[in-house]
Amino acid sequence: MLTLFEREHLDVNNLAEADTAIRVEQLSLRFGSKPVLENISMSIPKHQITALIGQSGCGKSTLISSFNRLNDLHQHCHYSGKVIINGRDINSRKENVAQLRTQVGMVFQRPNPFPMSIFDNVSYGLRLQGINTRRQLDEAVEQALHDAALWNEVKDRLFEPANVLSGGQQQRLVIARALALQPEILLLDEPTSALDPLTTLFIEELMAGLKKRCSIVIVTHNMQQAARVSDYTAFLHQGRLIEYSDSDTLFTTPRKKQTEDYITGRYG
Amino acid sequence: MQQVAFNTHISGRFNTELENLRNSVLTMGGEVEQQLVDTLKAIQLNHPGLAEKVIVNDLKINSMEMQIDKECLRIIAKRHPTASDLRLVMTISKVITDIERMGDEIERIARLVTKQKLPSSASVKSSMLLIGERVADMMRGTFDAFARQDEKAALEVYEQDTRIDSEYKKLLTFIASEMEKNTESMQDWLEILWALRSLERVGDRCKNICEYVISLASGEDARHTSLENLMQKLDNLS
Amino acid sequence: MSKLPSLSSVLNAGQRQSLFIGICTFFTAILLLAMVSIVLLIFARGGGYFWPEDIQQLQFVRASDDQPITAYGQYQNQFEQGGEPVRWVVYSHARNPYGNQTLLDDTNLLQARLAPEAARISLRDGRAILGEPLKVTAPSDPDVSLNRLAQRLTQVRQIEQSIAGIRDEQLADIHQKLTELDQRKVGKKAPARLTLNQGFDRWHKRILTLEKQRDAYQLFVRLADQSIVSVALIEVEHLVYPGQLSGWQKLGEALYEVGGFLSESPKQANTAGGVFPALFGTVLMVFLMTIIVTPFGVLAAIYLNEYASNNGLIVVIRIAVSNMAGVPSIVYGVFGLGFFIYGVGGNIDALFFEANLPAPTLGTPGVFWASLTMAILTLPVVIVATEEGLRNVPQGLKAGSYALGATKAETVLYTILPMASPGIMTGVILAIARAAGEVAPLMLVGAVKFAPNLPIDAEFPYLHLERQFMHLGVLIYDGAFHSQTDAKGASMMFAACLLLLVVVFVLNILAVLLRTKLRKRYHKG
Repeated sequence: MLTLFEREHLDVNNLAEADTAIRVEQLSLRFGSKPVLENISMSIPKHQITALIGQSGCGKSTLISSFNRLNDLHQHCHYSGKVIINGRDINSRKENVAQLRTQVGMVFQRPNPFPMSIFDNVSYGLRLQGINTRRQLDEAVEQALHDAALWNEVKDRLFEPANVLSGGQQQRLVIARALALQPEILLLDEPTSALDPLTTLFIEELMAGLKKRCSIVIVTHNMQQAARVSDYTAFLHQGRLIEYSDSDTLFTTPRKKQTEDYITGRYG
Repeated sequence: MQQVAFNTHISGRFNTELENLRNSVLTMGGEVEQQLVDTLKAIQLNHPGLAEKVIVNDLKINSMEMQIDKECLRIIAKRHPTASDLRLVMTISKVITDIERMGDEIERIARLVTKQKLPSSASVKSSMLLIGERVADMMRGTFDAFARQDEKAALEVYEQDTRIDSEYKKLLTFIASEMEKNTESMQDWLEILWALRSLERVGDRCKNICEYVISLASGEDARHTSLENLMQKLDNLS
Repeated sequence: MSKLPSLSSVLNAGQRQSLFIGICTFFTAILLLAMVSIVLLIFARGGGYFWPEDIQQLQFVRASDDQPITAYGQYQNQFEQGGEPVRWVVYSHARNPYGNQTLLDDTNLLQARLAPEAARISLRDGRAILGEPLKVTAPSDPDVSLNRLAQRLTQVRQIEQSIAGIRDEQLADIHQKLTELDQRKVGKKAPARLTLNQGFDRWHKRILTLEKQRDAYQLFVRLADQSIVSVALIEVEHLVYPGQLSGWQKLGEALYEVGGFLSESPKQANTAGGVFPALFGTVLMVFLMTIIVTPFGVLAAIYLNEYASNNGLIVVIRIAVSNMAGVPSIVYGVFGLGFFIYGVGGNIDALFFEANLPAPTLGTPGVFWASLTMAILTLPVVIVATEEGLRNVPQGLKAGSYALGATKAETVLYTILPMASPGIMTGVILAIARAAGEVAPLMLVGAVKFAPNLPIDAEFPYLHLERQFMHLGVLIYDGAFHSQTDAKGASMMFAACLLLLVVVFVLNILAVLLRTKLRKRYHKG
């Protein structure tokens, strides 16, 4: 029988080890006495875009932050369970968190370039790694800016302060900053919520291109965005993983009623 | 002439998806066209094997319709197409229904051959083949117009249907007189009438698709309007 | 007691609002008035110190002995006393040509006329004579006209220089060699000693000749009562005829005076001359204090804000820091004296400078202890301001830095500190302003009315942190005690006030500029 559209979906609920970028096992997390994540188990596929959707406060940002231990910044954060990246449980005490964060890059909701030049922003992480030779830095910065589709716009003003750039450019700069470290995983925490629709589309297109380089996890409260960019989508509600499947299925024929209600906007 | 530009989306994947969708419709259309040509050949040569193949092949067309339909659904759910993109997807969603029905009608004609119910009269058979050729031409023109989203071409094809209709009516009166002469094989005649009716319906479906193409290209709803009104509207547009 | 009608029953809403605005405006206006009058007073009185007043020939009856006196005089300032205008007057009189002062009201004043022929002759020791220069004498030169006054001044100063040169180079050398001989216990009749003695005699004679020559230069001045006094020309520092000057020339003269004020040492027990040592001492003390307080304050604030967890101890520390800001400064002075000077300084002396005891080396008030005390005093200011700056660093930037694999220390160093720098600057500037203005604690820990040496000189180790120093605030404080008897001193006090005001002003403007620049750099967009 003739197949018109080539489309293959991995079974994310039963993912092979080779295809897994992050494996979460029974992760529970609370801030003080307030539970935020409850017993989450999921596998995030390699070289795919996985979206986490859900209402505000459902724990999606916390979940993404537990992939690079950024929750450690909160004073009263307690967690149990495992987050396995490259076969290592990153929640273990022995984990070198700084090292981990170079492998798992992160981009935040508001563009947060450092108050320095564009060049220094992109080379920030590299310098922290002890890479100081001018030639290495030059090459890495140019490559990263190319990857973030920003090179042509800033190549003539690399040494101008980064905060003269527009919002979309700043966000791409921040992505370039993360890419300069050649991360295996890129976490995007509502990366376009502060940007206008057209810039948003631009960043989304950039993400699709970055898929080849790294596995991407994106948190968004914009369902349309999740639908547009993601290959796989997980729906969280009140700290629990409700449904997790490929986006085509989730957005056309969700299996759970809660998901259906949420994506159709029926949540009251 | 208004043309939906496919290469201007920021999202390259969306472009590809729309392009694939459109191509898949053309593939499906090509398949149905081939079915009609095969059927006409089977009638001409009285070749039941070929007709059998046409009947089996119809399943393929049905499957294509389902796949395209699903893809349309998926694109609407994930891409939230708007304006011309939305019109395209919705049009395609309707076009494939018509194409699928064409496939069904052609299957019915093919069954005439497998049941060995071909008209004994050579003149009826040749008239039927002639109409069939006309319909095949029209179908080719329709898919062409769709591929190019050319409303002028679609309008020309639209006009062809009136000729087919008149020839169909002529043939009907002829058959009616034949039937009066030869009443004992009424059952066979009915089969032939059904097949003829199907052939005419294929033409109507082509007309439908042309209407969709016109409304897709111009944004004006061309359905259920008379030809004069349509012409008027087109003149106003250009 | 009957209840007063409430405000809302008397006035409608609009009126209440206008009343409230009116009250606020009133108090703001009072505040503005107070500030303007302070600045005006300081500028008028301080600036007046430098302005060359016209010299008048006055005839008046001296209040103390009812004697009529004719003298050249300058009005110092004028004020009302019992409805009568009263003036402080400085005048030169035959019995004391170097400046008498008296309070003069109109009833005592017999006659006054402008005397453009009279000059104000400032002497090197800070005194001044008001009189008409008549002639100038020079050795073996019959020309006594005043035309060659400038040339004569140069000549006499050259002579003075050569005397000083001989003293510094030749005599000092001979003295040193003689001391060496003494140490080696060379006999009194040793030929080396005799040669040196001969040399000494020769140079000494030379000096005597030069001194005689020098003293032959004399300036003769006629006072208003026609008596004539002579002054050694070498003593004359500056000579000006205020009555012959135009407004612009007076301004130039005033600027010359300002230059002297900034560069010279105080004379006549801090009532004349300049304030250079005090200015220098203030700046050095503040500078040292800044060096000490900045790292302490910034590091403490970073610890409190970034590293410490929010437990009870930290809350207690925060409260303690805020309270430290409210402790009276004299307490810090006593603390500095008791802890740093007698405690720390005394112990260091006992351990390392035992040889010099009982004379203290470090166990005595000095500029370092003063800086340290002021650093402690201003620490809370810096900590609070820095913490404020640290809190203003957006959380997103910190997270961004951590997400790039930065450790906490790297994040603090490369991201948080630069962003907090405007806040830190604010704190440091506030600390500087506070330290520059303090007097009481400084008098306990090292600031003195008069210090013979600057804390920095050409003598190894160049920076003498144990030395006492002069301070502008202390100078003003000291001047305030003179003010009742010495109107001129009061003026000098105001001039010092003006200087302090200008210093603080300049520092503040610099701080604001720097802060704006930093803000622009780190907080744009």
